[in-house]
Amino acid sequence: MAQETREKTSSRKSTESAGKIRTVVKRMYQQAQQAKEEKRKVAYCMVMCNYEEILEAMDIVQVYTENYAGLCAVKRQAEPYMDKARAEGYSDLLCGYTQVGIGFDALRHELGEMPPDAPDGGMPEPDVLLGCSMGCDPRWKWFQALGRYKDAPIYNIDVLMPPSDADMEAIKEHSVRYMAEELRGLIAFLEEQTGTEMDYDRLMAIVRQVEETRWWWREAYELRRAIPCPMSTQDHFVLFVPHHMMLTDSFTLDFYKGLYQELKERVDNGIGVIDDEKYRLLWGVGLPPWHTMSILDYFLNFGAVFAAETAYMIPEPFEIPPDASDPVQLIAERAFERNSALQWRGQKAGGVPPLAQAHLERIEDFSIDGVVMHITRSCRASTMGQILVRNVIREHYPKMPVMFMESDIVDLGTYSEAETKNRIDTFMEMVGAYKGSAG
Amino acid sequence: MTNVAEGALDRARGLYENRGLRAKELAAQGKQVVGYLCCYTPAEFMTALDLVPYRIQGGVGKPLKQADQHLETIMCPYVRSCFDLAMGGEYDFLSGVVIPHTCDAMHRIYDIWKYHMKPPYSHCITVPHMTHRASFEYFQKELEDFQHSLERFVGRSASEEDLVRAIGLHNRCRALLRELYELRKQEPPLISGTEITWVLVAGMTIPVQEFNDLLEDIIAEVRGRKPSSDGRHRLLVVGSEVDDVAMIRLVEDCGASVVMDDLCTGSRSFWEDVDHAKGAVSGLAARYLGGITCPCTYREGKVPERFSYLGDYVRDWRIQGALLYTIRYCDTYQLDAPEIKGYLESLGLRVLYLEDDYVMPPLGQWKTRVEAFLETIESTKEE
Repeated sequence: MAQETREKTSSRKSTESAGKIRTVVKRMYQQAQQAKEEKRKVAYCMVMCNYEEILEAMDIVQVYTENYAGLCAVKRQAEPYMDKARAEGYSDLLCGYTQVGIGFDALRHELGEMPPDAPDGGMPEPDVLLGCSMGCDPRWKWFQALGRYKDAPIYNIDVLMPPSDADMEAIKEHSVRYMAEELRGLIAFLEEQTGTEMDYDRLMAIVRQVEETRWWWREAYELRRAIPCPMSTQDHFVLFVPHHMMLTDSFTLDFYKGLYQELKERVDNGIGVIDDEKYRLLWGVGLPPWHTMSILDYFLNFGAVFAAETAYMIPEPFEIPPDASDPVQLIAERAFERNSALQWRGQKAGGVPPLAQAHLERIEDFSIDGVVMHITRSCRASTMGQILVRNVIREHYPKMPVMFMESDIVDLGTYSEAETKNRIDTFMEMVGAYKGSAG
Repeated sequence: MTNVAEGALDRARGLYENRGLRAKELAAQGKQVVGYLCCYTPAEFMTALDLVPYRIQGGVGKPLKQADQHLETIMCPYVRSCFDLAMGGEYDFLSGVVIPHTCDAMHRIYDIWKYHMKPPYSHCITVPHMTHRASFEYFQKELEDFQHSLERFVGRSASEEDLVRAIGLHNRCRALLRELYELRKQEPPLISGTEITWVLVAGMTIPVQEFNDLLEDIIAEVRGRKPSSDGRHRLLVVGSEVDDVAMIRLVEDCGASVVMDDLCTGSRSFWEDVDHAKGAVSGLAARYLGGITCPCTYREGKVPERFSYLGDYVRDWRIQGALLYTIRYCDTYQLDAPEIKGYLESLGLRVLYLEDDYVMPPLGQWKTRVEAFLETIESTKEE
């Protein structure tokens, strides 16, 4: 039926690439479980910690716990784990991902085996826990809390986010040196755990492959500037999966090349997400409501397409210097360049806070008519600062409508579909008026 | 001496109740007062440059007026309260603000504070979450950067001697506070938890030398007390910011004595000295990153090792029960809370876990819980 609709209208709501992801995710957990059975080392990880290439070079299987929590939410199987975490004494206001993850491992600890009906067979028991400070506090505190249930060793590293007004030239040297030392400390820890030495040539090759992967994803993403927009935000929130969770896999490189080809073909043929694209929206900061992603489709009824996001952003471009020989130093320099890029541009723009700068760039580059941000009850890092972002947007685009949707990344308890739809109705009226007044 | 010391606690209480009074006087006289959040900010740098460090506080019992327009409701309520007071003009006397990136809320509030308050001077110190060797080296560089930033602001440099002198003043302050805390070991304690809170808050609002003078007078005054034993239960309070007496007074009004704390506004802010033998900035980096036991800094090891200092407090202050207080939406504390509670219980203590939104503590509800809690301690004692 869906296929018929596509043929009749020439629009295609979803990409074929996005349609592959569910299978990819299932396979990923199967492979991780199999690897565990084969006695390969398994690490609990956090995305965007800059250690993905290091783990791959040491043949360590990466399992991303936050994303598993997201999967539980998508499948609406998060509640038993959250209940368990709360029974263990954790606050119901704690990060939703963390509640799910702690509940999952507390339950496994209590049962002495994988919790029954764990989505996609569950996360295999980790041999090491590797957190980092990039993004938010629970991303390293969580694994510390798991010490109640596991004896697996923990190694957390700092990944710096320079302040918005820092003199980047002044802090670069010691910031990069610290990042490199953190990574070297991690490598020494992993060498001790695995009994094998790091192969730095292999590491360098993996870094190069990863940057090529990112180049293709970025190129594909940039195609969404086209009108009509060839890809929806609904797709974006599944298409990030290979990058975030299978970054070093050669499959991922091929996957984003394929995505580029698919979107290019759409753009060349004027194929958009919907037939009559009236409005282009930005999904601003705030992780999506994994429990009810279908609400995003409601915007389509108004002819509105999310053409860009500032959540699950593609890392900033980074060119590997031709004379680069030390992959650890390279990763450290890359981390600094990427994590300070918005600050740099915000400073050049007259002191725009980096979070707001990301939004202003997207609004300009993707011809945005309105912004939706998601206030998530349990995710402070992605929620704090949203009002500031709105205020800065208003300075630059005084009449641009900005909507705050309210629920959570995981917990359904605070979500009201009727209220959300009411807000969307009002918001879309404002977007219509804004677009109309803008001519 | 007795005459000189008399009324020192009243002076502290006066400063507590009229916060900012002295700092405003100094600002009116032309002194530059720099506000800061969090006990990870090394105030020594400000003292060394003849600036007046002022620890920004929130307002328990003061409903928010403007914060909701600018800050999300799920943000740390303490930070929201501080910001609300600033928006209302409470901190207009400040010449600048320093905010360390110690937790997500501190990180985010920096840009928001700058955007709305537009302080003449502002600086964000990146504090590592880790305590690897490289973390200390990095933090030293960050502190050097902070020093240079302050020097540019005031238009003069701080020499090593200036820093060492400032460290000496702040170490003296720490020693005096520890001396005062020693007086809480006695049975009954010579100073109540409520009075201690007056003293600690007063100290956040005045220059360190003035606080040292006040502390000497307070110690002399308190030493002169000769209370008789009243059999009150001796409690430890563990948590983050407590810059108001409401909770502690409630507990003491219910018949207990708060005799020790692990609070970022309490012992955590002064327990460790700065050792400048290897250089002032190096010593400050070591002390501020390594010597503060906030959950925002990752420390290796399992529970007994991580919280053994609490065990020392329990032993040395003869603690009979503990209050574990967290502020809503504080991920780092809430992730540690079950383990802290479990650790204290493993020492044979009863633990009462209280959580609120900082601004409006539910004192009526808490009173019932505290009374029941004290009864359980009593029954345990009888067993």
